[in-house]
Amino acid sequence: MENEKSTLSPIGKIFDWLGKAFLKTTPGKLFALFVKTILSFFSANRNFRTDFRNVVLQTFFTGVEIFPILFVVASLFGTVVIVETMSIMSKVGFANVVGNVLVVTVVRELGPIFTAFLIAGRSGSALATMIGNMQINSEIDALSSMGISPIRYLVMPSLLGGVIAVFIMSICFCVSSLGMGYLISKIFVMVAGQTMNVQLTWNYLYTSLVDALTFTDFVMIVLKPLVFGIIIVINACYQGLRVERDFRNLPKATSRSVIFSFLYIVIADAMLSVFFIFQYLGEISKII
Amino acid sequence: MAEALRIENLNFSIYENVRTPAAKGGVISKVFGNIFRSSSLTHRQILKDINMSLHPGETVCIGGPSGQGKSLLLRLIAGLEKPDSGSLFYFGEYIPREKHSALQIALRQVGLVLQNGALISNLTVRDNVALPLRYHRRGSEKEIAEKVGMALDLMRVSSVASNFPHTLSAGMLKRVAIARSWVMDPKLLLMDEPTAGLDNYNRRNLLPLIDNMRSLFQTTIVIVTHDLRMADELDSNLIFLHDKTLTEPHSFDYWMQSKEVFAVQLFRDLQKRDGLY
Repeated sequence: MENEKSTLSPIGKIFDWLGKAFLKTTPGKLFALFVKTILSFFSANRNFRTDFRNVVLQTFFTGVEIFPILFVVASLFGTVVIVETMSIMSKVGFANVVGNVLVVTVVRELGPIFTAFLIAGRSGSALATMIGNMQINSEIDALSSMGISPIRYLVMPSLLGGVIAVFIMSICFCVSSLGMGYLISKIFVMVAGQTMNVQLTWNYLYTSLVDALTFTDFVMIVLKPLVFGIIIVINACYQGLRVERDFRNLPKATSRSVIFSFLYIVIADAMLSVFFIFQYLGEISKII
Repeated sequence: MAEALRIENLNFSIYENVRTPAAKGGVISKVFGNIFRSSSLTHRQILKDINMSLHPGETVCIGGPSGQGKSLLLRLIAGLEKPDSGSLFYFGEYIPREKHSALQIALRQVGLVLQNGALISNLTVRDNVALPLRYHRRGSEKEIAEKVGMALDLMRVSSVASNFPHTLSAGMLKRVAIARSWVMDPKLLLMDEPTAGLDNYNRRNLLPLIDNMRSLFQTTIVIVTHDLRMADELDSNLIFLHDKTLTEPHSFDYWMQSKEVFAVQLFRDLQKRDGLY
Protein backbone atom coordinates (compact mmCIF):
# COMPACT_ATOMS: atom_id res chain seq x y z
CA MET A 1 0.00 0.00 0.00
CA GLU A 2 2.83 2.37 0.91
CA ASN A 3 4.52 1.68 -2.42
CA GLU A 4 1.27 2.29 -4.22
CA LYS A 5 0.87 5.66 -2.50
CA SER A 6 4.40 6.75 -3.24
CA THR A 7 3.85 6.22 -7.00
CA LEU A 8 1.12 8.86 -7.05
CA SER A 9 2.02 12.22 -8.57
CA PRO A 10 1.27 15.40 -6.53
CA ILE A 11 -1.96 15.92 -8.51
CA GLY A 12 -2.79 12.23 -8.03
CA LYS A 13 -2.29 12.64 -4.29
CA ILE A 14 -4.71 15.59 -4.26
CA PHE A 15 -7.33 13.54 -6.10
CA ASP A 16 -6.64 10.58 -3.80
CA TRP A 17 -7.18 12.79 -0.75
CA LEU A 18 -10.29 14.41 -2.24
CA GLY A 19 -11.77 11.05 -3.19
CA LYS A 20 -11.20 9.60 0.27
CA ALA A 21 -12.61 12.73 1.91
CA PHE A 22 -15.68 12.56 -0.35
CA LEU A 23 -16.30 8.90 0.52
CA LYS A 24 -16.41 9.81 4.21
CA THR A 25 -19.34 12.19 3.67
CA THR A 26 -22.98 11.07 3.42
CA PRO A 27 -23.28 11.89 -0.32
CA GLY A 28 -20.00 9.97 -0.80
CA LYS A 29 -21.37 6.94 1.02
CA LEU A 30 -24.58 7.13 -1.01
CA PHE A 31 -22.52 7.29 -4.19
CA ALA A 32 -20.42 4.32 -3.06
CA LEU A 33 -23.59 2.31 -2.33
CA PHE A 34 -24.95 3.21 -5.78
CA VAL A 35 -21.74 2.11 -7.50
CA LYS A 36 -21.63 -1.14 -5.48
CA THR A 37 -25.26 -1.80 -6.41
CA ILE A 38 -24.55 -1.31 -10.11
CA LEU A 39 -21.47 -3.54 -9.88
CA SER A 40 -23.45 -6.20 -7.99
CA PHE A 41 -25.68 -6.53 -11.07
CA PHE A 42 -22.69 -8.02 -12.89
CA SER A 43 -21.55 -10.23 -9.99
CA ALA A 44 -20.97 -13.97 -10.37
CA ASN A 45 -24.18 -14.92 -8.56
CA ARG A 46 -26.53 -13.73 -11.26
CA ASN A 47 -29.89 -15.45 -11.19
CA PHE A 48 -32.07 -13.56 -13.63
CA ARG A 49 -35.16 -15.58 -12.75
CA THR A 50 -34.99 -14.61 -9.07
CA ASP A 51 -33.91 -11.09 -9.97
CA PHE A 52 -36.80 -10.64 -12.39
CA ARG A 53 -39.26 -11.83 -9.73
CA ASN A 54 -37.79 -9.48 -7.13
CA VAL A 55 -37.76 -6.53 -9.54
CA VAL A 56 -41.41 -7.13 -10.51
CA LEU A 57 -42.39 -7.39 -6.82
CA GLN A 58 -40.49 -4.21 -6.01
CA THR A 59 -42.04 -2.35 -8.96
CA PHE A 60 -45.47 -3.50 -7.81
CA PHE A 61 -44.75 -2.48 -4.22
CA THR A 62 -43.24 0.88 -5.16
CA GLY A 63 -45.52 1.88 -7.96
CA VAL A 64 -48.77 0.03 -8.40
CA GLU A 65 -49.87 0.17 -4.77
CA ILE A 66 -49.42 3.95 -4.69
CA PHE A 67 -51.33 4.54 -7.91
CA PRO A 68 -54.79 5.31 -6.37
CA ILE A 69 -53.36 8.09 -4.19
CA LEU A 70 -51.18 9.37 -7.00
CA PHE A 71 -54.17 9.41 -9.36
CA VAL A 72 -56.27 11.54 -6.99
CA VAL A 73 -53.40 13.94 -6.25
CA ALA A 74 -52.54 14.24 -9.96
CA SER A 75 -56.16 14.83 -11.02
CA LEU A 76 -56.79 17.56 -8.47
CA PHE A 77 -53.38 19.14 -9.06
CA GLY A 78 -54.06 19.14 -12.82
CA THR A 79 -57.46 20.73 -12.28
CA VAL A 80 -56.01 23.55 -10.19
CA VAL A 81 -53.19 24.21 -12.64
CA ILE A 82 -55.43 24.15 -15.74
CA VAL A 83 -58.16 26.36 -14.26
CA GLU A 84 -55.70 28.86 -12.74
CA THR A 85 -53.52 29.01 -15.84
CA MET A 86 -56.35 29.41 -18.31
CA SER A 87 -58.19 32.03 -16.30
CA ILE A 88 -55.13 34.11 -15.41
CA MET A 89 -53.34 33.83 -18.75
CA SER A 90 -56.41 34.80 -20.76
CA LYS A 91 -57.00 37.77 -18.43
CA VAL A 92 -53.49 39.15 -18.96
CA GLY A 93 -53.51 38.40 -22.68
CA PHE A 94 -51.13 35.46 -22.74
CA ALA A 95 -53.63 32.77 -23.71
CA ASN A 96 -51.20 31.55 -26.38
CA VAL A 97 -48.64 30.39 -23.79
CA VAL A 98 -51.05 28.21 -21.77
CA GLY A 99 -49.51 25.06 -23.26
CA ASN A 100 -46.01 26.19 -22.34
CA VAL A 101 -47.02 26.92 -18.77
CA LEU A 102 -48.70 23.52 -18.44
CA VAL A 103 -45.71 21.71 -19.92
CA VAL A 104 -43.28 23.54 -17.62
CA THR A 105 -45.47 23.14 -14.54
CA VAL A 106 -46.84 19.65 -14.95
CA VAL A 107 -44.62 17.70 -17.30
CA ARG A 108 -41.24 19.22 -16.68
CA GLU A 109 -41.19 20.25 -13.03
CA LEU A 110 -43.94 19.40 -10.59
CA GLY A 111 -45.12 16.13 -12.15
CA PRO A 112 -41.83 14.24 -11.60
CA ILE A 113 -41.23 16.01 -8.26
CA PHE A 114 -44.72 15.24 -6.86
CA THR A 115 -44.38 11.63 -7.99
CA ALA A 116 -40.95 11.36 -6.40
CA PHE A 117 -42.21 12.94 -3.16
CA LEU A 118 -45.17 10.55 -3.00
CA ILE A 119 -42.97 7.53 -3.64
CA ALA A 120 -40.29 8.72 -1.20
CA GLY A 121 -42.94 9.26 1.47
CA ARG A 122 -44.65 5.98 0.94
CA SER A 123 -42.26 3.43 -0.56
CA GLY A 124 -38.92 4.96 0.44
CA SER A 125 -39.90 5.07 4.09
CA ALA A 126 -41.29 1.52 3.90
CA LEU A 127 -38.07 0.29 2.29
CA ALA A 128 -35.91 1.97 4.95
CA THR A 129 -38.08 0.47 7.71
CA MET A 130 -37.98 -2.99 6.15
CA ILE A 131 -34.19 -3.02 5.76
CA GLY A 132 -33.78 -1.45 9.22
CA ASN A 133 -35.93 -4.19 10.74
CA MET A 134 -33.92 -6.81 8.89
CA GLN A 135 -30.78 -5.26 10.33
CA ILE A 136 -32.20 -5.34 13.88
CA ASN A 137 -33.37 -8.96 13.51
CA SER A 138 -29.89 -9.94 12.23
CA GLU A 139 -31.40 -10.97 8.89
CA ILE A 140 -28.73 -8.97 7.05
CA ASP A 141 -26.05 -10.80 9.07
CA ALA A 142 -27.74 -14.09 8.24
CA LEU A 143 -27.68 -13.22 4.52
CA SER A 144 -23.97 -12.36 4.68
CA SER A 145 -23.19 -15.55 6.61
CA MET A 146 -24.84 -17.56 3.81
CA GLY A 147 -22.59 -15.85 1.27
CA ILE A 148 -25.47 -13.73 0.00
CA SER A 149 -24.54 -10.12 -0.63
CA PRO A 150 -27.23 -7.90 0.96
CA ILE A 151 -26.54 -5.32 -1.73
CA ARG A 152 -27.08 -7.90 -4.48
CA TYR A 153 -30.12 -9.44 -2.79
CA LEU A 154 -31.88 -6.37 -1.37
CA VAL A 155 -30.62 -3.12 -2.84
CA MET A 156 -30.21 -4.08 -6.50
CA PRO A 157 -33.81 -5.31 -7.09
CA SER A 158 -35.12 -2.34 -5.08
CA LEU A 159 -33.10 0.04 -7.24
CA LEU A 160 -34.27 -1.44 -10.55
CA GLY A 161 -37.88 -1.79 -9.38
CA GLY A 162 -37.84 1.68 -7.84
CA VAL A 163 -36.49 3.39 -10.94
CA ILE A 164 -38.98 1.60 -13.21
CA ALA A 165 -41.84 2.47 -10.83
CA VAL A 166 -40.89 6.15 -10.56
CA PHE A 167 -40.63 6.37 -14.35
CA ILE A 168 -44.04 4.73 -14.94
CA MET A 169 -45.68 6.70 -12.15
CA SER A 170 -44.28 10.01 -13.43
CA ILE A 171 -45.87 9.37 -16.81
CA CYS A 172 -49.10 8.30 -15.09
CA PHE A 173 -49.01 11.49 -13.02
CA CYS A 174 -48.59 13.72 -16.08
CA VAL A 175 -51.29 11.90 -18.08
CA SER A 176 -53.72 11.81 -15.13
CA SER A 177 -52.96 15.38 -14.27
CA LEU A 178 -53.64 16.72 -17.75
CA GLY A 179 -56.39 14.26 -18.73
CA MET A 180 -58.38 14.18 -15.51
CA GLY A 181 -57.50 17.82 -14.86
CA TYR A 182 -59.12 18.71 -18.17
CA LEU A 183 -62.25 16.63 -17.44
CA ILE A 184 -62.75 18.02 -13.92
CA SER A 185 -62.04 21.57 -15.11
CA LYS A 186 -64.57 21.08 -17.90
CA ILE A 187 -67.17 20.05 -15.34
CA PHE A 188 -66.34 23.13 -13.24
CA VAL A 189 -66.62 25.35 -16.29
CA MET A 190 -69.95 23.77 -17.25
CA VAL A 191 -71.28 24.23 -13.72
CA ALA A 192 -69.90 27.74 -13.22
CA GLY A 193 -70.75 28.83 -16.79
CA GLN A 194 -69.54 32.25 -17.95
CA THR A 195 -68.58 33.38 -14.44
CA MET A 196 -65.25 31.58 -14.78
CA ASN A 197 -64.51 33.24 -18.11
CA VAL A 198 -62.53 30.23 -19.37
CA GLN A 199 -62.78 28.92 -22.93
CA LEU A 200 -61.75 25.33 -22.42
CA THR A 201 -61.76 22.82 -25.26
CA TRP A 202 -59.78 19.59 -25.55
CA ASN A 203 -58.62 20.52 -29.02
CA TYR A 204 -57.21 23.84 -27.80
CA LEU A 205 -55.53 22.29 -24.79
CA TYR A 206 -54.11 19.35 -26.76
CA THR A 207 -52.76 21.54 -29.57
CA SER A 208 -51.11 24.01 -27.20
CA LEU A 209 -49.54 21.17 -25.20
CA VAL A 210 -48.17 19.38 -28.25
CA ASP A 211 -46.82 22.63 -29.64
CA ALA A 212 -45.11 23.43 -26.34
CA LEU A 213 -43.40 20.05 -25.92
CA THR A 214 -39.78 20.03 -27.02
CA PHE A 215 -37.21 17.25 -27.43
CA THR A 216 -35.58 18.33 -24.15
CA ASP A 217 -38.89 17.69 -22.38
CA PHE A 218 -38.89 14.10 -23.59
CA VAL A 219 -35.29 13.70 -22.41
CA MET A 220 -36.26 15.10 -19.01
CA ILE A 221 -39.31 12.83 -18.77
CA VAL A 222 -36.86 9.92 -18.85
CA LEU A 223 -33.94 11.50 -17.00
CA LYS A 224 -35.70 13.01 -13.99
CA PRO A 225 -37.58 9.89 -12.85
CA LEU A 226 -34.36 7.92 -13.37
CA VAL A 227 -32.36 10.28 -11.14
CA PHE A 228 -35.17 10.64 -8.57
CA GLY A 229 -35.72 6.88 -8.43
CA ILE A 230 -32.02 6.29 -7.80
CA ILE A 231 -32.01 8.96 -5.06
CA ILE A 232 -35.09 7.56 -3.29
CA VAL A 233 -34.02 3.92 -3.30
CA ILE A 234 -30.32 4.41 -2.53
CA ASN A 235 -31.09 6.86 0.27
CA ALA A 236 -33.77 4.56 1.75
CA CYS A 237 -31.49 1.51 1.61
CA TYR A 238 -28.56 3.47 3.03
CA GLN A 239 -30.64 4.74 5.94
CA GLY A 240 -32.01 1.22 6.56
CA LEU A 241 -28.57 -0.39 6.48
CA ARG A 242 -27.26 2.23 8.94
CA VAL A 243 -29.69 1.15 11.65
CA GLU A 244 -27.33 -1.55 12.95
CA ARG A 245 -28.89 -3.35 15.91
CA ASP A 246 -30.46 -0.48 17.78
CA PHE A 247 -34.24 -0.10 17.74
CA ARG A 248 -33.93 3.61 18.56
CA ASN A 249 -32.38 4.19 15.14
CA LEU A 250 -35.32 2.78 13.19
CA PRO A 251 -37.72 5.78 13.42
CA LYS A 252 -34.76 8.09 12.76
CA ALA A 253 -33.83 6.09 9.66
CA THR A 254 -37.42 6.18 8.39
CA SER A 255 -37.77 9.94 8.77
CA ARG A 256 -34.28 10.53 7.34
CA SER A 257 -35.11 8.42 4.31
CA VAL A 258 -38.04 10.75 3.55
CA ILE A 259 -36.59 14.13 4.50
CA PHE A 260 -33.20 13.60 2.86
CA SER A 261 -34.86 12.17 -0.25
CA PHE A 262 -36.90 15.38 -0.50
CA LEU A 263 -33.75 17.45 -0.08
CA TYR A 264 -31.68 15.48 -2.61
CA ILE A 265 -34.58 15.42 -5.11
CA VAL A 266 -34.96 19.20 -4.98
CA ILE A 267 -31.20 19.68 -5.33
CA ALA A 268 -31.08 17.24 -8.27
CA ASP A 269 -34.09 18.94 -9.86
CA ALA A 270 -32.44 22.33 -9.55
CA MET A 271 -29.26 20.96 -11.12
CA LEU A 272 -31.17 19.34 -13.99
CA SER A 273 -33.17 22.53 -14.53
CA VAL A 274 -29.98 24.44 -15.23
CA PHE A 275 -30.23 22.96 -18.73
CA PHE A 276 -33.40 24.97 -19.23
CA ILE A 277 -32.01 28.32 -18.13
CA PHE A 278 -31.16 29.45 -21.64
CA GLN A 279 -34.49 28.25 -22.93
CA TYR A 280 -36.27 30.14 -20.12
CA LEU A 281 -34.33 33.29 -20.93
CA GLY A 282 -35.27 32.96 -24.60
CA GLU A 283 -38.94 32.58 -23.78
CA ILE A 284 -38.94 35.48 -21.32
CA SER A 285 -37.28 37.74 -23.92
CA LYS A 286 -39.99 36.74 -26.42
CA ILE A 287 -42.75 37.68 -23.95
CA ILE A 288 -41.14 40.95 -22.91
CA MET B 1 -5.37 -33.31 7.68
CA ALA B 2 -5.70 -29.55 8.15
CA GLU B 3 -7.51 -28.22 11.19
CA ALA B 4 -11.06 -27.08 10.57
CA LEU B 5 -10.44 -23.86 12.45
CA ARG B 6 -7.37 -22.32 13.99
CA ILE B 7 -7.28 -18.99 15.76
CA GLU B 8 -3.98 -17.42 16.81
CA ASN B 9 -3.56 -14.43 19.14
CA LEU B 10 -6.84 -12.83 18.19
CA ASN B 11 -7.66 -9.47 19.78
CA PHE B 12 -10.79 -7.40 19.48
CA SER B 13 -11.84 -4.05 20.92
CA ILE B 14 -14.85 -1.86 20.56
CA TYR B 15 -14.99 1.90 20.41
CA GLU B 16 -18.00 3.26 22.23
CA ASN B 17 -19.49 6.73 22.16
CA VAL B 18 -20.08 7.52 25.82
CA ARG B 19 -22.26 10.54 26.53
CA THR B 20 -21.56 12.49 29.68
CA PRO B 21 -23.25 15.63 31.06
CA ALA B 22 -21.57 18.78 29.84
CA ALA B 23 -21.03 20.32 33.27
CA LYS B 24 -21.44 19.46 36.91
CA GLY B 25 -22.73 21.60 39.77
CA GLY B 26 -24.98 24.66 39.63
CA VAL B 27 -28.71 24.87 39.01
CA ILE B 28 -28.44 25.45 35.25
CA SER B 29 -26.17 22.50 34.64
CA LYS B 30 -28.39 20.31 36.83
CA VAL B 31 -31.40 21.23 34.71
CA PHE B 32 -29.74 21.27 31.32
CA GLY B 33 -26.82 18.92 31.97
CA ASN B 34 -28.75 15.97 30.68
CA ILE B 35 -29.70 17.77 27.49
CA PHE B 36 -26.36 19.33 26.58
CA ARG B 37 -24.04 16.39 26.76
CA SER B 38 -20.65 15.81 25.31
CA SER B 39 -19.63 12.58 23.66
CA SER B 40 -16.31 10.91 24.08
CA LEU B 41 -14.97 7.87 22.30
CA THR B 42 -13.81 5.17 24.68
CA HIS B 43 -11.86 2.07 23.82
CA ARG B 44 -12.75 -1.25 25.45
CA GLN B 45 -10.92 -4.50 24.83
CA ILE B 46 -13.35 -7.42 24.68
CA LEU B 47 -11.19 -10.33 23.51
CA LYS B 48 -7.51 -10.74 24.22
CA ASP B 49 -5.04 -13.33 22.95
CA ILE B 50 -7.65 -15.83 21.81
CA ASN B 51 -6.16 -19.12 20.67
CA MET B 52 -8.19 -22.08 19.56
CA SER B 53 -7.85 -25.12 17.34
CA LEU B 54 -10.53 -27.49 16.09
CA HIS B 55 -10.17 -30.75 14.19
CA PRO B 56 -12.62 -31.76 11.44
CA GLY B 57 -15.72 -33.42 12.90
CA GLU B 58 -15.06 -32.07 16.38
CA THR B 59 -17.73 -30.33 18.43
CA VAL B 60 -16.87 -27.75 21.03
CA CYS B 61 -19.04 -25.70 23.36
CA ILE B 62 -17.95 -22.24 24.48
CA GLY B 63 -19.42 -21.18 27.81
CA GLY B 64 -19.06 -18.36 30.26
CA PRO B 65 -21.05 -15.64 31.98
CA SER B 66 -23.16 -13.21 29.94
CA GLY B 67 -21.51 -10.16 28.44
CA GLN B 68 -18.05 -11.70 28.14
CA GLY B 69 -18.06 -11.67 24.32
CA LYS B 70 -18.95 -15.27 23.44
CA SER B 71 -21.39 -14.30 20.69
CA LEU B 72 -18.93 -11.68 19.53
CA LEU B 73 -16.26 -14.37 19.16
CA LEU B 74 -18.68 -16.37 17.04
CA ARG B 75 -19.42 -13.31 14.90
CA LEU B 76 -15.66 -12.81 14.47
CA ILE B 77 -15.21 -16.40 13.34
CA ALA B 78 -18.15 -15.97 10.93
CA GLY B 79 -16.62 -12.79 9.52
CA LEU B 80 -19.34 -10.45 10.71
CA GLU B 81 -16.73 -8.51 12.70
CA LYS B 82 -13.10 -7.78 11.87
CA PRO B 83 -10.44 -8.60 14.47
CA ASP B 84 -7.97 -5.91 15.57
CA SER B 85 -5.13 -8.37 15.23
CA GLY B 86 -4.49 -12.09 15.07
CA SER B 87 -4.78 -14.83 12.47
CA LEU B 88 -7.68 -17.05 11.49
CA PHE B 89 -7.23 -20.22 9.44
CA TYR B 90 -10.20 -22.05 7.93
CA PHE B 91 -9.33 -25.61 6.86
CA GLY B 92 -5.71 -24.59 6.69
CA GLU B 93 -6.34 -21.48 4.61
CA TYR B 94 -5.29 -18.18 6.12
CA ILE B 95 -7.75 -15.33 5.64
CA PRO B 96 -5.98 -11.96 5.94
CA ARG B 97 -7.69 -9.15 7.83
CA GLU B 98 -8.59 -7.16 4.69
CA LYS B 99 -10.40 -10.20 3.27
CA HIS B 100 -12.02 -11.12 6.58
CA SER B 101 -15.70 -10.70 5.67
CA ALA B 102 -18.81 -12.87 6.10
CA LEU B 103 -19.14 -13.27 2.32
CA GLN B 104 -15.56 -14.53 1.99
CA ILE B 105 -15.80 -16.89 4.94
CA ALA B 106 -19.17 -18.29 3.86
CA LEU B 107 -17.48 -19.35 0.62
CA ARG B 108 -15.22 -21.63 2.74
CA GLN B 109 -18.32 -23.64 3.70
CA VAL B 110 -18.73 -22.02 7.09
CA GLY B 111 -22.34 -21.79 8.29
CA LEU B 112 -23.79 -19.67 11.06
CA VAL B 113 -26.99 -20.15 13.06
CA LEU B 114 -27.83 -16.98 14.91
CA GLN B 115 -29.55 -16.92 18.29
CA ASN B 116 -32.94 -15.73 17.01
CA GLY B 117 -32.80 -17.84 13.84
CA ALA B 118 -32.77 -14.66 11.72
CA LEU B 119 -35.04 -16.10 9.06
CA ILE B 120 -35.97 -13.72 6.25
CA SER B 121 -39.37 -12.51 7.38
CA ASN B 122 -41.00 -12.08 3.96
CA LEU B 123 -40.13 -15.62 2.79
CA THR B 124 -41.84 -18.86 3.75
CA VAL B 125 -39.92 -21.55 5.63
CA ARG B 126 -39.38 -23.46 2.37
CA ASP B 127 -38.13 -20.37 0.54
CA ASN B 128 -35.89 -19.47 3.47
CA VAL B 129 -34.20 -22.86 3.33
CA ALA B 130 -33.99 -22.73 -0.48
CA LEU B 131 -32.63 -19.18 -0.52
CA PRO B 132 -28.87 -19.94 -0.30
CA LEU B 133 -29.21 -22.79 -2.80
CA ARG B 134 -31.06 -20.58 -5.29
CA TYR B 135 -28.68 -17.68 -4.80
CA HIS B 136 -25.58 -19.83 -5.29
CA ARG B 137 -27.37 -21.81 -8.05
CA ARG B 138 -26.74 -25.20 -6.46
CA GLY B 139 -28.73 -27.31 -8.91
CA SER B 140 -32.01 -27.13 -10.76
CA GLU B 141 -35.30 -26.17 -9.08
CA LYS B 142 -36.15 -29.87 -8.78
CA GLU B 143 -32.85 -30.70 -7.08
CA ILE B 144 -33.21 -27.70 -4.80
CA ALA B 145 -36.75 -28.78 -3.86
CA GLU B 146 -35.48 -32.29 -3.03
CA LYS B 147 -32.64 -31.01 -0.87
CA VAL B 148 -34.91 -28.54 0.92
CA GLY B 149 -37.44 -31.32 1.57
CA MET B 150 -34.65 -33.51 3.00
CA ALA B 151 -33.43 -30.70 5.28
CA LEU B 152 -36.94 -29.95 6.52
CA ASP B 153 -37.51 -33.66 7.22
CA LEU B 154 -34.18 -33.96 9.03
CA MET B 155 -35.06 -31.03 11.29
CA ARG B 156 -38.69 -32.19 11.59
CA VAL B 157 -40.21 -28.95 10.32
CA SER B 158 -41.83 -30.21 7.10
CA SER B 159 -45.30 -29.52 8.51
CA VAL B 160 -44.60 -25.76 8.57
CA ALA B 161 -42.86 -25.52 5.19
CA SER B 162 -45.43 -23.07 3.82
CA ASN B 163 -45.60 -20.91 6.95
CA PHE B 164 -43.98 -17.54 7.40
CA PRO B 165 -41.39 -17.20 10.20
CA HIS B 166 -43.59 -15.02 12.44
CA THR B 167 -46.01 -17.93 12.88
CA LEU B 168 -43.33 -20.31 14.23
CA SER B 169 -42.34 -21.07 17.80
CA ALA B 170 -38.81 -20.37 19.04
CA GLY B 171 -37.86 -24.05 18.76
CA MET B 172 -39.09 -24.31 15.20
CA LEU B 173 -37.33 -21.09 14.22
CA LYS B 174 -34.05 -22.55 15.42
CA ARG B 175 -34.59 -25.84 13.63
CA VAL B 176 -35.44 -24.03 10.38
CA ALA B 177 -32.33 -21.87 10.80
CA ILE B 178 -30.22 -25.02 11.26
CA ALA B 179 -31.88 -26.56 8.17
CA ARG B 180 -31.03 -23.43 6.19
CA SER B 181 -27.39 -23.70 7.21
CA TRP B 182 -27.30 -27.45 6.65
CA VAL B 183 -28.46 -27.32 3.01
CA MET B 184 -25.21 -25.60 2.07
CA ASP B 185 -23.23 -28.60 3.38
CA PRO B 186 -21.17 -26.61 5.87
CA LYS B 187 -17.92 -28.17 6.96
CA LEU B 188 -17.83 -25.81 9.94
CA LEU B 189 -21.08 -24.81 11.64
CA LEU B 190 -21.24 -22.00 14.19
CA MET B 191 -24.26 -21.94 16.50
CA ASP B 192 -25.18 -19.15 18.87
CA GLU B 193 -27.25 -20.30 21.86
CA PRO B 194 -29.17 -23.02 20.02
CA THR B 195 -31.12 -24.03 23.14
CA ALA B 196 -31.79 -20.55 24.56
CA GLY B 197 -35.48 -19.95 25.13
CA LEU B 198 -36.43 -23.59 24.48
CA ASP B 199 -38.41 -25.74 26.88
CA ASN B 200 -37.06 -29.14 27.90
CA TYR B 201 -39.12 -30.96 25.28
CA ASN B 202 -37.81 -28.84 22.38
CA ARG B 203 -34.32 -28.90 23.83
CA ARG B 204 -34.37 -32.71 23.99
CA ASN B 205 -35.53 -32.80 20.37
CA LEU B 206 -32.87 -30.40 19.15
CA LEU B 207 -29.76 -31.99 20.65
CA PRO B 208 -29.98 -35.31 18.73
CA LEU B 209 -30.39 -33.31 15.52
CA ILE B 210 -27.15 -31.44 16.22
CA ASP B 211 -25.48 -34.71 17.14
CA ASN B 212 -26.70 -36.29 13.88
CA MET B 213 -25.09 -33.52 11.87
CA ARG B 214 -21.77 -34.33 13.49
CA SER B 215 -22.01 -38.09 13.23
CA LEU B 216 -23.61 -38.35 9.77
CA PHE B 217 -21.94 -35.49 7.95
CA GLN B 218 -18.70 -35.03 9.93
CA THR B 219 -19.55 -31.35 10.45
CA THR B 220 -17.26 -29.43 12.80
CA ILE B 221 -19.51 -27.57 15.22
CA VAL B 222 -18.80 -24.61 17.51
CA ILE B 223 -21.60 -23.87 19.94
CA VAL B 224 -21.77 -20.78 22.10
CA THR B 225 -24.06 -21.51 25.02
CA HIS B 226 -25.05 -20.91 28.61
CA ASP B 227 -26.46 -24.42 28.65
CA LEU B 228 -23.36 -26.21 29.97
CA ARG B 229 -25.14 -29.57 30.15
CA MET B 230 -25.16 -29.53 26.36
CA ALA B 231 -21.41 -30.22 26.35
CA ASP B 232 -22.06 -33.36 28.41
CA GLU B 233 -24.99 -34.50 26.29
CA LEU B 234 -23.13 -33.93 23.02
CA ASP B 235 -19.99 -35.48 24.50
CA SER B 236 -17.97 -32.49 23.41
CA ASN B 237 -15.22 -30.39 24.92
CA LEU B 238 -16.07 -27.29 26.86
CA ILE B 239 -14.10 -24.05 26.66
CA PHE B 240 -14.77 -21.04 28.84
CA LEU B 241 -14.37 -17.44 27.86
CA HIS B 242 -12.91 -16.02 31.02
CA ASP B 243 -11.12 -12.75 31.62
CA LYS B 244 -11.29 -11.86 27.89
CA THR B 245 -9.54 -15.04 26.80
CA LEU B 246 -10.30 -18.71 26.19
CA THR B 247 -9.37 -21.49 28.56
CA GLU B 248 -8.02 -24.84 27.43
CA PRO B 249 -10.67 -27.28 26.13
CA HIS B 250 -11.67 -29.95 28.63
CA SER B 251 -14.54 -32.35 29.15
CA PHE B 252 -17.66 -31.45 31.09
CA ASP B 253 -16.60 -33.76 33.93
CA TYR B 254 -13.19 -32.11 34.16
CA TRP B 255 -14.77 -28.70 34.62
CA MET B 256 -17.27 -30.10 37.11
CA GLN B 257 -14.42 -31.08 39.37
CA SER B 258 -12.26 -28.07 38.60
CA LYS B 259 -11.32 -25.73 41.44
CA GLU B 260 -11.13 -22.69 39.15
CA VAL B 261 -13.24 -19.96 40.77
CA PHE B 262 -15.25 -19.09 37.64
CA ALA B 263 -15.96 -22.78 36.91
CA VAL B 264 -17.05 -23.44 40.51
CA GLN B 265 -19.36 -20.43 40.28
CA LEU B 266 -20.90 -21.47 36.93
CA PHE B 267 -21.42 -25.09 37.96
CA ARG B 268 -22.86 -24.06 41.31
CA ASP B 269 -25.44 -21.99 39.44
CA LEU B 270 -26.15 -25.00 37.25
CA GLN B 271 -26.64 -27.27 40.27
CA LYS B 272 -28.92 -24.75 41.96
CA ARG B 273 -31.03 -24.31 38.85
CA ASP B 274 -31.33 -27.86 37.62
CA GLY B 275 -30.35 -29.97 40.58
CA LEU B 276 -29.07 -32.51 38.09
CA TYR B 277 -25.38 -32.58 38.84
